[in-house]
Amino acid sequence: MLPELFSLFYQFADVFAFLILASAGLAIVFGMMGVINMAHGEFIMCGAYVTVGLVNLGVPLPLAQIAAAFTAGLIGVVIEILVVRKFYKRPLDSLLATWGLSLIVTQGMLIVVGSSIRGIGTPEGSFAVGDYTFSTYRIILFACALAVLVGIYILFMRTRFGVIARATMQNAGMAQALGARTGRIYAISFGIGAGLAGLCGALYAPTMTLIPTMGATFIVESFVTVVVGGANVLLGTAPAAMLLALVRMALNASYGQIIGQIGMLFAVIAIIRILPEGLSSILARRGR
Amino acid sequence: MPLIDIKDVSRRFGGLAAVSHVNLSIDQGEIHCLIGPNGAGKSTLFKLIIGVYEPSAGTILFDNADITRERPYARVQRGMSIKMQAPSVFKELPVWQNLDIALQQQRSGDDLVMERQRLLELLDLAVHDDKLAGALAHGQQQWLEIGMALALRPRLLLLDEPTAGMSPEETHRTGELIKSLNRDGMTVIVVEHDMAFIRQIAQRVTVLHLGQIFADGTLEQVVSDPRVEEIYLGKAHHV
Amino acid sequence: MLSLVNGPQTSGNGRGFWLAFLAVLTVALIYPVFADSYDVGNFSYFLIWIFMALGLSLIWGYGGMLTFGQTFFFGIAGYGYGVLAIVLGGSTTTIAALILSVLVAVLAAAVLGYFMIWGRISGMFFGIVTLAATLSLAFFLGQTAGPEWHIGEARLNGFNGMKGMDPLTVGDIYIEGTILYYVLIALIVAVYLGLRMLVNSRIGNVIVAIREDPQRAEMLGYDVRKYQLLTFCIGSGLAGLSGALYTSWGQFITPSSIGLPAAAMPIIWVAFSGRSDLTATLVGSFLLLFGFQTITIYSQQAALVLMGALLLGTVMVMPQGFIFGVAQIASRRWRRLAGRDSAGDGPLRDGET
Repeated sequence: MLPELFSLFYQFADVFAFLILASAGLAIVFGMMGVINMAHGEFIMCGAYVTVGLVNLGVPLPLAQIAAAFTAGLIGVVIEILVVRKFYKRPLDSLLATWGLSLIVTQGMLIVVGSSIRGIGTPEGSFAVGDYTFSTYRIILFACALAVLVGIYILFMRTRFGVIARATMQNAGMAQALGARTGRIYAISFGIGAGLAGLCGALYAPTMTLIPTMGATFIVESFVTVVVGGANVLLGTAPAAMLLALVRMALNASYGQIIGQIGMLFAVIAIIRILPEGLSSILARRGR
Repeated sequence: MPLIDIKDVSRRFGGLAAVSHVNLSIDQGEIHCLIGPNGAGKSTLFKLIIGVYEPSAGTILFDNADITRERPYARVQRGMSIKMQAPSVFKELPVWQNLDIALQQQRSGDDLVMERQRLLELLDLAVHDDKLAGALAHGQQQWLEIGMALALRPRLLLLDEPTAGMSPEETHRTGELIKSLNRDGMTVIVVEHDMAFIRQIAQRVTVLHLGQIFADGTLEQVVSDPRVEEIYLGKAHHV
Repeated sequence: MLSLVNGPQTSGNGRGFWLAFLAVLTVALIYPVFADSYDVGNFSYFLIWIFMALGLSLIWGYGGMLTFGQTFFFGIAGYGYGVLAIVLGGSTTTIAALILSVLVAVLAAAVLGYFMIWGRISGMFFGIVTLAATLSLAFFLGQTAGPEWHIGEARLNGFNGMKGMDPLTVGDIYIEGTILYYVLIALIVAVYLGLRMLVNSRIGNVIVAIREDPQRAEMLGYDVRKYQLLTFCIGSGLAGLSGALYTSWGQFITPSSIGLPAAAMPIIWVAFSGRSDLTATLVGSFLLLFGFQTITIYSQQAALVLMGALLLGTVMVMPQGFIFGVAQIASRRWRRLAGRDSAGDGPLRDGET
């Protein structure tokens, strides 16, 4: 009985971690600035490539992953200053601009580095519960997803930056009048979002083939999690990922991966019909 | 017979009761003014009547039909029409097209063109008909919006602060327009602050305060009520 | 007659415009006489995509709904045509396959549109939900390599895509080459004029009113959701028409016509051209397709980088679209140079023509 239960938990944790890691960066950028970053997948790709590049140079994996997340974050700050900043008053155009960017980056990468580079392989290590064996690295990914959630919570609820950032989220004009430098806060927030995307790529780099278009593997999951979660990252993203992971796990277990993916999309479409503003809207109403 | 009958209607936003237990029935052919200090719930009540909000409790009857859960477009099709508080014309479309979008509900062909011309002249907008609505002065946008509301030939016309931003002469002309529409049988509910304007048109006045009906009657009755003066303290010079 | 296709929602209402239109049409009609069949085939290939672009202009430019799902419906009808052409037995039944596959795309648009519009999805979420659906379809079709994925005789074939269906056929005549070219020209003229009639009609008035301010439109007695759904279905159906014609043209279709970067292409054509004008979309999309194809011969990636740069450049420099913007500047210049009030080129209204 216990091994079966653990096996179910393991499958849930696997999907949950994927949804959280893939969507956290997108959700922060959307929650803070009301911008959907269509180049989100390319920041993930960036994190993965930097990780693999560094590991191939002999850097230990965890160090390479941290460096990759920071690299993606820094690039994010630059992109915010050069492009995204111009579109805060025109959110739909920001969608198009970042999509253009995404095309340039993926296709440019295909020209520069070619279609695929040598991967590094998933770190070995497994453990057994009853008759089942499980990959240790997948559990590490789950722990990382939980750490990201806790980190976001601490950052926004317990730090000075978080207080100012939340004030900016509520009312940018007012925050500015009170002395907050909203431009810098936006740049940092976008950088954090990009850094989390980079982290996602870094963490999944050992588990998959690296190609410049790999970002597309992640964005459907990140989109639907953000759509279901709604505008409030702190309230919406985790429950949305939990709900979708349950749906996905149940469908995967009964009908396989293909139906799992398609079924999740149908679930999302049904959820938005019932809850147009996402889960965070009902959770926020409860709290009031 | 009441045209609109609001029965024990409440609307809460979170913990705030914007409108609570309001009973109000307005007869066919009346010009009825809603007054009250800011935040009294006047605009919320309007939005409940037109259907932008659904009431948390209570029922609303229009011409004896229960419209409590009906969507706004269905209420408009029943014969209501509203001019909202903030001018909301189609700013990127020309003036004449703004009118057409309303007029085409009931008219077409030459009939539509003639009615459009009549309204443009009535509203003093004939020379501006090719301008984008967003390029009009604030007062003219208000007129255009009143024109769009009228183009639907409503039985019940809801006007939320129709004279905001208008000069005294324009305000007076708006009042005369409302009275002439009323003579042709239109029922009108107006939210206003301008006492001179209310004195010009109102047949009955309801005072809202903190989401509840505070006083009701002719303007003289309401104004002579000492409690009304109290809630308007600081605004007494208007009265 | 012209009063039906002219109006405030389209540029180019004057006599000059329609004379130019006839001139371009004439050139297009005699083009096959002078060109070799390879070029005519290439030309047909560009024309196939125009329906999808016009549909997006309707949904996004006129209706104000930014859909990223044009290739979703393109794919549904494209695969639908493939399956039906095989299952129904090919030959003349391919005409039925074309019509049915477009209807299937419209039905899919009605279902997806119902959930989104009645769920009050708008703005950016409209884009990303439609894109999520599109990418999921591409992913799903990519997984269908196994022999168990078939409908009747028709195998879906995963990433390699479907092939082996008949092209559009009437009796013994394949609609290919020059015949296909003329069929496409006729369809484009019909769709272009039909859409101009639609957007300048009463329904068109409501569609643009909803784009400007949905709540105000509802306050004038319109059920906004029904008009939005109608717009979405027509525009998506046109994407479906492109898809079915595409499958017939090349007798194959793969998931890569649906997923990324294909899904971005209609957005780029229409954004670059000027989404709020059908004529600008028609002209601009054709030019971009032509340019893209020319560069693709050397490097597909380079062509796609350029398309991305065009999209970025358009929103940064001329968000209303380059073709539309340049045409507006040119017509203003022209008017000043000619020193006349060319009322004929301005917007027209009912009862004035």
